[in-house]
Amino acid sequence: MPNFCLFDVGSTYTKGCIVNTDQEIILAQASDFTTSSTDISIGIEKVKQKMFKDITIHIDKTLVCSSAKGGLKMIAIGLVPDLTLKAAQLACYSAGAKVIKSYSFELNQKELDEIENSNCDILLLSGGTDGGNTSSVRHNTNQLIKLKSRFPIIYAGNKSCQDEIRIQLEQHNFECILCDNVMPSYGILEVDDCKNKIRELFLNSIVKAKGLSQLNDVIDEIVLPTPLSVFEALKLLSKGSKNEPGIGDLIAIDIGGATTDVYSMNTKLVINEEFGYKGLQEPLEKRSVEGDLGLRFSAPHVYELNVDLHSTEFDMYINEIKNNPHLKSNIELDTQLASTCVDLATQRHVGRLETSYTPMGISYYQTGKDCRNVKQCIGIGGPIIYNPNARSILSQCLTKPNQKDVLLPIECEFYLDQDYLISCLGLLSKQYPDVVIRILKKKLEKLNHV
Amino acid sequence: MEKINVVIGVIGADVHAVGNRIIDYAFSQAGFNVINLGVMVSQKEFLDAAIETNAKAIIISSLYGHGELDCRGMGDMLKEAGLDDVLLYIGGNLVVGKSDFTEVEKLFISMGFDRVYPPGADINQGIEDLKNDLKDKGIYA
Repeated sequence: MPNFCLFDVGSTYTKGCIVNTDQEIILAQASDFTTSSTDISIGIEKVKQKMFKDITIHIDKTLVCSSAKGGLKMIAIGLVPDLTLKAAQLACYSAGAKVIKSYSFELNQKELDEIENSNCDILLLSGGTDGGNTSSVRHNTNQLIKLKSRFPIIYAGNKSCQDEIRIQLEQHNFECILCDNVMPSYGILEVDDCKNKIRELFLNSIVKAKGLSQLNDVIDEIVLPTPLSVFEALKLLSKGSKNEPGIGDLIAIDIGGATTDVYSMNTKLVINEEFGYKGLQEPLEKRSVEGDLGLRFSAPHVYELNVDLHSTEFDMYINEIKNNPHLKSNIELDTQLASTCVDLATQRHVGRLETSYTPMGISYYQTGKDCRNVKQCIGIGGPIIYNPNARSILSQCLTKPNQKDVLLPIECEFYLDQDYLISCLGLLSKQYPDVVIRILKKKLEKLNHV
Repeated sequence: MEKINVVIGVIGADVHAVGNRIIDYAFSQAGFNVINLGVMVSQKEFLDAAIETNAKAIIISSLYGHGELDCRGMGDMLKEAGLDDVLLYIGGNLVVGKSDFTEVEKLFISMGFDRVYPPGADINQGIEDLKNDLKDKGIYA
């Protein structure tokens, strides 16, 4: 009977669970405040002790997903901001990375200096459709080889010049990995190959480079970056596997201290075929990261964005957060901040229905994803699951009466990942897809009207 | 040799799709790689697509009579975007009413267009013109 010990390390809490894949049950589950950002093994040990307090079993394998040491930090480079740059960013996000810098068109010296000092793990270089523009990627390669720092570069641009770019980068001691163009023809997004290459790099070199391989004494393998583990688990839960049906379209929201992640899993990009679609085709499984929305480091910015919150009491709270990010939560005020995060993050995630008044009458076209038919919303992460007002926070993802053009869900059932299972179970998504789906279906807690 | 990319589309709030499909078909048959942006295309979409695909020509159609308003500044935008070399063609019913076509042509040439076609123009003429213009630029052998 295979018993898996699964950990999610790197955020404020280290989470763990023990899963028996034959009986499809969670044998133990625990989490602990991450005291030391340098030694992750301490957090793992503490969670292990908690889990093994009441049970004695043999563990067959210990797997970990990690967002430690700042997560997987990537730089995305494209040509036109709305096209290849956006495609490159979407590729990074769907691979579970954090995009720390993005650049379009040709790199200048100032941008090069930023890259030099960015301490990024991987750089994704794209630009041009296949057979299209080559001058931007050539220019940018000529700039990148001037750098002193070294990091792996994934080339996902115009295929016409990929070989010369690889040779040039390798001559300057860059590790260069070629993959399919993220936008092979106008408006078409192809992120799968790129996503796989990022994952391979993460496994083969980033884990080592971050000094995480020393964990090998306590665990067997760091398998995925945490957001990718979440992504894979949600994708399974939505789409199902060969033997187990999924629950259909869903949206999931994870609010952290500095960022808010939104995941959406859809079966169709355009629901109403009468609408034309404009711009880059977004992926059916999408993750977006809002780097300016969060409850601690980003709280002052969130407060600034929502003028309805402004009051003397709130001013003081925000000042306290600025001085001490580990401040004890004021539930009422955090609820309001979290609601703002959900509102803005989901609005940015979904598409729009644009109206055009033509001589032939009103005409509509869609940009981005249409999530109006999504009926399920899942809350992930501490700030939501420990908040007694979780339902009201999550309900901010619904369409507002004055924003009919924003393609947000119209009505939803709300669920909570109250035992931190999604990120951990994502680790088993390749090996035991059916088990992952069935456990999540059983374990996600449905939130009822208060 | 790789095919030459041309970007086509119907500009502004115009939803006339038939001519757009004819242009797509004819230019594809003539050996070009056509990037068809469809109807209701903005100036920015034309420019973005031309940059990414390294297009050698942008072929705009407009049937509803507001072409002049929709195309204002397009020639300048092309220069700003570093696309001075890209050929800019337009055809269709470009202004409301029955104006003298030579006047219309003059107007659009002054706005930075290389070629202007009246309603009912022969598509083969456009293809011939494009091949010749590209040849003049040393692009089309």
